Amino acid sequence: MNLEYTIFINYAPTILLGFWLTLKIVVCAISLGIPLGLFLALGRRSNFVIFSFLSTSFIEIFRNTPFIIQVFLFYYVLPFYGIRLSAEYVGILALAAFGSAYFAEIIRGGIDAIPKGQLESARAIGMTDWQAMRNIILPQTLSIVIPPLTNQTLTLIKESAILSTITVHELTMTGLMVQGETFRPFEVFIMVALLYWALNETIATIMRRFEKNINKKRESGSTINSSGILKQSENIR
Amino acid sequence: MSANFLQLKGLHKKFGSITALRDVSLNVSKGEVICIIGPSGCGKSTLLRTINWLSPPDKGQVILQGEIVGSSSSSKLTIEQSKLLNNLRARMGMVFQQFNVWPHLNVLENVVRAQVVVANRDRKEAESKARKILDEVGLTEKVDEWPDNLSGGQKQRLAIARSLAMDPILMLLDEPTSALDPELVAEVLSVLKRLVDKGMTMLVVTHELGFASKFGDRIVFMDGGEIIEEGPPEKILRTPKTDRLKQFLEKLNITSLKG
Repeated sequence: MNLEYTIFINYAPTILLGFWLTLKIVVCAISLGIPLGLFLALGRRSNFVIFSFLSTSFIEIFRNTPFIIQVFLFYYVLPFYGIRLSAEYVGILALAAFGSAYFAEIIRGGIDAIPKGQLESARAIGMTDWQAMRNIILPQTLSIVIPPLTNQTLTLIKESAILSTITVHELTMTGLMVQGETFRPFEVFIMVALLYWALNETIATIMRRFEKNINKKRESGSTINSSGILKQSENIR
Repeated sequence: MSANFLQLKGLHKKFGSITALRDVSLNVSKGEVICIIGPSGCGKSTLLRTINWLSPPDKGQVILQGEIVGSSSSSKLTIEQSKLLNNLRARMGMVFQQFNVWPHLNVLENVVRAQVVVANRDRKEAESKARKILDEVGLTEKVDEWPDNLSGGQKQRLAIARSLAMDPILMLLDEPTSALDPELVAEVLSVLKRLVDKGMTMLVVTHELGFASKFGDRIVFMDGGEIIEEGPPEKILRTPKTDRLKQFLEKLNITSLKG
C-alpha cells in the first residue's frame, strides 16, 4: 500500500482543528465531571436518604446504559424541554454526566479505603464532617484515586469520539469528513489515531509524575498505592 | 475538687441485639483519674465513645461542666447543637488504641491542623504551641518526620500531643498502650503520669493494673455493659466484693504470671 504523504500535509490543519475542539470538549467535560463525581460520591455516602437515593440513581443510570444512547437522549430530548444547546455543549454535558458516574465510584472507593479511625480522630478533636473530609480524608484519598481517575479520564477522551454521531466536529468527525473527501482512510485515520494517542500519553505521563510527587512526600512505603507497593517489592528483590 | 465536673446519666446503648451499655451512670470530679477495667466486650470502649458522642447512646445524658454534650438519641442534631458538640469535643481529648495519627501530615502538622481548623488559631501561634507540646512528650527531634517513620510509642505520644494542643479539660484514653510492644509501653505511661501530675481529669480504659492502682483515684469495673463495682484502687484490687470482679482479677493475674 502506497502512502500518499501530501494528505498529511494538506489536511493537517483541518484535522488539527478537529483535535482542538476535542481538546476543548474534553477539558470542559472533565472539569465539570470530577467535581460532580466528588459531589455524587459524598451524596451516595450521605445520611440524608433523599440525597443518597438521588446520587445513587444518577450513578447507576449513567454507569449502566450505553454512552451513545445517553448522547442521543441528551441531544434529542433536551430541546423538548426548551433547552436548545449547540451540539458541542450537549456533548460536553453528556460526557461530563457519563464520566461523573465513574468518577463518583472511584472517589467513593478511595474514601472507603481510608481506615475508619481517621475520620473518628478528626471528629473527636472537634472537626465538622466537612472539615474532616477536607483536611483528613480527601487528601489521603488522593494518592489512592489518581491511577483509576487517570484511567477513567483516558477512557472519556476516547469516548468523546462518539460525539461525532451528533454532528460535533471533533477529531473523529473531522477525520470522517476528510476521508470522504480524499478516499484515503488509512492516512486520515492514522493521523486521527496518533493525535488521540499523543493526547492520552501526555496526560498519563503528567499524572504519573504527579502521583510520584505525592508519594515522595512520605517515603516510608506503608501507603496504599501502586507505586508504594512497587517500591516495597523492589526492596525485597 | 468540684464534683459534677462530668456527669453520665443512665446511658443505654445497643448494637443490634447486643447491649453494650446498660444504665450506666457516673459522676466525675475535676482532676479525678478514673481507670475503667473489665473483660473485652464489656462496653468500656463504648462508654468512652458515648462521652464525646462519637457513638451516641440510645438513652441517657452526658453533661460536661453543666453543658449537655448530648441527650438521648439526638442523632439528628440541629446546626446549633452540632456546633456546641464540636466545641465540647475539642475540649475532650481522645486517644485511641490504634493511635489514628494522620499519615499524610508530618508530625508538626498533625498537632497544628486542628488548632487552625477547629480553634481558629493563627498558624504561627499554633506552630509554637505545637513545638512546645511536642517537646513535652519528647518528640522535638521528630517534628519534621512523617508518622509512618515513627515507632508505635512515638505515634501514641504524637496522638496525645495532638489532643493536648486543643487545651482539653478532660482526656479520654481508650487502651492507650494495648497496641504497643511491651518495651514501648513505659514511654507512653510516663507521658500519662505527667498529665496526672498536672491535675488533668482522665478516663482511661486500661489493662495496666499497675498504672491503675498507682495513679487512678477510682477504678470502675464493668461487665456486660454495666458498672459492677467502683471505688479506690486498693479496695477494688485487694478486696473485690463481687465474684465477677474476683474472676476477672484472677484471670489477669494468671496471664500476667504467664507473660
